[in-house]
Amino acid sequence: MIVCVAVVGHQNNPLYIQSFTEADDALKLHHIVHCSLDVVDERVNNPKKSGPLLNETFLGLLYPIENFKVYGYLTNTKVKFILVTTDLDVKDADVRNFFRRFHAAYVDAVSNPFHVPGKKITSRTFAERVSTIVKSFGLTSAV
Amino acid sequence: RTPPVTLAAIVGCPELHPLISTHFLSAQPPINTLALPDLSKIYLFERKPKDSNAEVPPPPPTVVGGVLKKDWLLKHRTKVPAVLGAVFRAEHVFGDPAQWLNVCLGLFVCRAVIRGRNIKLAVVIIHTGADEITEDRMIALRKRADVDAKYVIMLNPNDNSDLNQSLDRMANAFYGLATMYYREEGRRIKQRIEKKNVSSVELIVRYCFKVAVYAEFRSDWPEALKFYEEGYHTLREIVGVTTRLPAIQRLVEIKYVSEQLNFKICTLLLHSGKVTESVAWFRQHKNAYKRLVGTPEAIFLHWDWMSRQYLVFGELLETSSKTAQIFPPITLGSASKPLSEWEFHPAYYYQLAAHYLGQKRSSLELVISTTETSSDTDSVDSVVPSTYVGQFARILELGDNVDMMALTDEEYMRYAVSEGRRFRDSLEIIALLRKAYESFNSSNIQRMAALCGFQMGKEYFSEGDSSNAKQIFDSIASLYRKEGWITLLWDVLGFLRECSRKSSNVKDFVEYSLEMAALPISSDANLQRDTGPAGPASRIQRETVHKEVFDLVMEDSVSETNEQLNNLKINGDKPLQLQVDLVSPLRLAMIALVAFHEQTMKPGSLTSISVSLLSHLPCTVEIDQLEIQFNQPSCNFFVSNAQKPQSVGVTDTQQHRVETSTSLLLEPNKWLRLTYDITSDQSGKLECQSVIAKIGPHFRICCRAESPASLDSLPIWTLDDCMQSVPIKDSVLVLSGQKIIQVEEPEPQVDVRLGAFGPALVGEIFLVPVTVISKGHNVYSGELKINLVDVRGGGLFSPRENEPHALDSHHVQLLGISGPEGEDDSHLDSDKIKQVQQSFGLISVPFLKNGDSWSCKLEIKWHRPKPIMLYVSLGYTPTNNESNPQMVHVHKNLQIEGQNAIELNHHFLMPFRRDPLILSKNKQASESNISQSLPLNQKTLLIVSAKNCTELPIRLKSISIEADNDVERTCSNQHGNEELSNPALVAPGREFKKVFSVSSDKNISKLVLGTVCLTWRRDLGVEEQSASTTGTLPWVVTKQKLPDMNVELPPLIVNLECPPYAILGDPFTYYIRILNQTPLLQEIKYTLADAQSFVLSGYHNDTVYVLPKSELILSYKLVPLASGLQQLPRFSMTSVRYSAAYQPSSSSNSVFVFPSKPHFKNEASTNFRLESVANE
Repeated sequence: MIVCVAVVGHQNNPLYIQSFTEADDALKLHHIVHCSLDVVDERVNNPKKSGPLLNETFLGLLYPIENFKVYGYLTNTKVKFILVTTDLDVKDADVRNFFRRFHAAYVDAVSNPFHVPGKKITSRTFAERVSTIVKSFGLTSAV
Repeated sequence: RTPPVTLAAIVGCPELHPLISTHFLSAQPPINTLALPDLSKIYLFERKPKDSNAEVPPPPPTVVGGVLKKDWLLKHRTKVPAVLGAVFRAEHVFGDPAQWLNVCLGLFVCRAVIRGRNIKLAVVIIHTGADEITEDRMIALRKRADVDAKYVIMLNPNDNSDLNQSLDRMANAFYGLATMYYREEGRRIKQRIEKKNVSSVELIVRYCFKVAVYAEFRSDWPEALKFYEEGYHTLREIVGVTTRLPAIQRLVEIKYVSEQLNFKICTLLLHSGKVTESVAWFRQHKNAYKRLVGTPEAIFLHWDWMSRQYLVFGELLETSSKTAQIFPPITLGSASKPLSEWEFHPAYYYQLAAHYLGQKRSSLELVISTTETSSDTDSVDSVVPSTYVGQFARILELGDNVDMMALTDEEYMRYAVSEGRRFRDSLEIIALLRKAYESFNSSNIQRMAALCGFQMGKEYFSEGDSSNAKQIFDSIASLYRKEGWITLLWDVLGFLRECSRKSSNVKDFVEYSLEMAALPISSDANLQRDTGPAGPASRIQRETVHKEVFDLVMEDSVSETNEQLNNLKINGDKPLQLQVDLVSPLRLAMIALVAFHEQTMKPGSLTSISVSLLSHLPCTVEIDQLEIQFNQPSCNFFVSNAQKPQSVGVTDTQQHRVETSTSLLLEPNKWLRLTYDITSDQSGKLECQSVIAKIGPHFRICCRAESPASLDSLPIWTLDDCMQSVPIKDSVLVLSGQKIIQVEEPEPQVDVRLGAFGPALVGEIFLVPVTVISKGHNVYSGELKINLVDVRGGGLFSPRENEPHALDSHHVQLLGISGPEGEDDSHLDSDKIKQVQQSFGLISVPFLKNGDSWSCKLEIKWHRPKPIMLYVSLGYTPTNNESNPQMVHVHKNLQIEGQNAIELNHHFLMPFRRDPLILSKNKQASESNISQSLPLNQKTLLIVSAKNCTELPIRLKSISIEADNDVERTCSNQHGNEELSNPALVAPGREFKKVFSVSSDKNISKLVLGTVCLTWRRDLGVEEQSASTTGTLPWVVTKQKLPDMNVELPPLIVNLECPPYAILGDPFTYYIRILNQTPLLQEIKYTLADAQSFVLSGYHNDTVYVLPKSELILSYKLVPLASGLQQLPRFSMTSVRYSAAYQPSSSSNSVFVFPSKPHFKNEASTNFRLESVANE
């Protein structure tokens, strides 16, 4: 299950962060997302280590913590998408698929002429769309 | 933790033991030595008859006490040697039979003792060289000892080189024996495993462990690893199978053993450099045991154990990475479960260890709170770790006998809880987190470090250590601030606020509270539960914080009602002033923009200033008084709130102006805009420095004033999607408003005049009179600055790059400044400043009263024709006020053209109708540039003409040719260098010519003609006559170098001779002389063309020979047929030898034909002397 998704701007500032848990550990998830930026930085700054991931938007598994797995995605405009999930056995393809849809939703949201680039995304439509994508995560591959 | 080291024992000859053991330790591989002084101690090695585990043949499964015995490894490392070395003296061995018997007895004892354990025996003989070595004794010794010949080692302690060698040999022999021993032992136990007749799984694990340890003893790492892993896997099978112990203790034991095995495996992997495998192994280990939580009441044991796993592995990783510097390889883990690079950071493990320890603590607390264990500590006291790894037992003391009794789970839990209580987990957690924090920070992983820091701070906070907590929170708050993680920042600030509350730091408390209240949190939802002391980040909470802090600062008397704040006091003794500068986080709480409406103002005039304040605090703030401060303190003013007149401080407001505003309410997110008039009497920069808001009796916020134009956006609020209003209504001011205004100088009342006339001429010293006339101001400490600037800009004063041959570095030069007439320079220099540089001058102006004037002259010299701009600026102070010097400046400029006065030209003339054949001319005819050549020994005329190219008349004093000093004179020129008797006046555009004759008699290729020197000056017309005695301008000398000439001997010279004039119909003779100057016979072909106006007699074409050094004369009779200037018949010739054709020029080839014989007046020609010279 996805517990948190986040959009992080290129100054590592949060643009959108939403958790999907019943338990009220939003703060903890914020910490997790924030820490995962270190991994993104490391991946981006040392592309040698990640080797085959060069030129790919999908960053893969960023790091495992006790009960979560964190995945990352980097757009061409250096906006980062972070996904925190509790599923311990996640298929890469699912995550890729998720990020692709999420990216599309993000692009639509920031294409809104009333959206100022670099500001937080407050669009309600975007939030709804994201929650739909989150809910359908993992289902598509099962079908 | 180090890999086990071979253990050997030596007995006998105690004086040599230190030598041997140190050598063994440093040997490769090292050997630990047990040194026994004599044979009496050897019984230590004897196997005890009653050994429950290994000796007794297969016990029933229930009898197996545990998996591993705790001291087994220790025993092998420190007590049971692999080799026993019996040391004997040679004299004993080879001495008399009694001694020999003694030796044999010793050997026998040794063998008896070690047989039980299969310990190997080696014999060492100390041979001092004195005794004979007998072969039969040696054989007997070997037989007695039952050892190979190579295990009987001779040692000679007296011979150094030999000793070392034999010690090495001894170490090798011992090591070989030890390896053999360990291999045998290992094989023995391995057989037991392979036979499969082992009754319980525990024993398999134990055997695997033993085999692995034996393998380690002989440095057989792969084998050790293999058996450790096998043991580990076997152990996994036990889980859930065995029922030997009560449930909790069973699990504890298994975990302890698996920890031991895991540790061994990881160490071995890391030692062999397989970091990735090691990490993968550890991950598998951790995953396997993660779910073995055990019963809920004992869960803290599980967390404790997990934490220890992480800690130990982290430490292992850290030491190995320190020693090996192995970086994680590119391919991480298997494809299905890739390892992330974080699993190679020890800090990652420390962090998790801390995390699990935290979990352990919380579950332990839960256990303590639920189980009311009051006072049965005595039963706990006697519990000790039992002989097996991971087991505990109670010691029962029955008289002298000490017995171990197994514990029930309940008892064990009591023991574990009481053990857990003894430890202060927080300190442990902080230590772990600090390790992680520092490790992350050192590898520049800030955010992970921040998280560790946050957790560490929380621990400190819960421990009550405010100062440490504050320090850590402060450092991580800056990161969150920078990146705009509001919720995280809110939480950290909440902790910080509580820390400062605890430490009674009012200022910090207010600052943190204001920052929290001003954070852009707009959600009303009350989502989080596990928040810090700040409570959930929401708008309501912001308002609560806001109210709390303003209650604190507004209260006159300290409230006893508010319990929370009673240690925070603000009163008259401790007024609180917050500084808000450009980088302060409190800019969110209050920001002040100041903009002048003008960019410059006249002194004394009025202009407007706008002050705008913005606060992001959630509630409206009422300001009692605003103070606006400038860099000129006289401009400071106050704005007081009309609704609170009583609160205005009256201390120092008398001197300053006080404005009153109807309301000074600072509403959230709305600009408070105030506009006032302002004036300044002092010229220069007027800058608004700060705006101080007084709120309440003792609280002030001092905001650094900012310009709207340079307003950088507030870092956090801009990220949020909120309406941005403009700080000032005027949209131009928003973009360009500045907090600085330039106050202009007062209007100057002094005139500076530059009185230059006409263009300047190159070479002369051009005088520019400057006059300073005071028209209303007195001039104190005046200073005149002079600047010469190229009109076209650039390149004027550094022409070297462009023209490397420039003589002077400056094309236009300021030579000097002469003072006013009557004042000599020496006096001026003594007490006044006078600086003159190439293009810059500075001169001080004496005190001038109103109406006075003062003048000086600038001397400027042009080296190149160039227009320049002359800037003269006068700075002075109108009053003699030392304390407040207000400089007034007057600027004047003047463009002055520089012109070349005179253009010098020259050309050469050959004597009339006399043409030498110059061969080089012909050769170069094809080439474009013909350098002129002069014939040798011939007089040549040089005509120098000086043309006045100015618009002014010029007086010319002399034209002369001066030889260059350093060159030998190569030619003579006549018609001298004498001065003109009366300086000639050359009108604009006219030319002045002078003729020199040049002849060279030396046969050299290059003729240096010298330099034309022209002495001239500007003609002042009428003034010149009047001021002829003193005031005339100095003569200027212009020099121009004449080009060098080639000289060569012409082989042939053609001379055409005819009378100066002819008369119509009157025949005359036309001679053509051809002079051959060479010592060769010259063949000449010549042609004389017909001319219309003449009838001629003679050959038209012919070939003649001219003898060497002689002259051939051709003569023609001509009869003119027409009058006027007539062309003579054209003569042309070709020298066959030089294949050079010659044609005289047509201009010199004509004669004037009079219709009848003319009559001349003789004195007519003398008037134009110069022209006549040319004509002749």
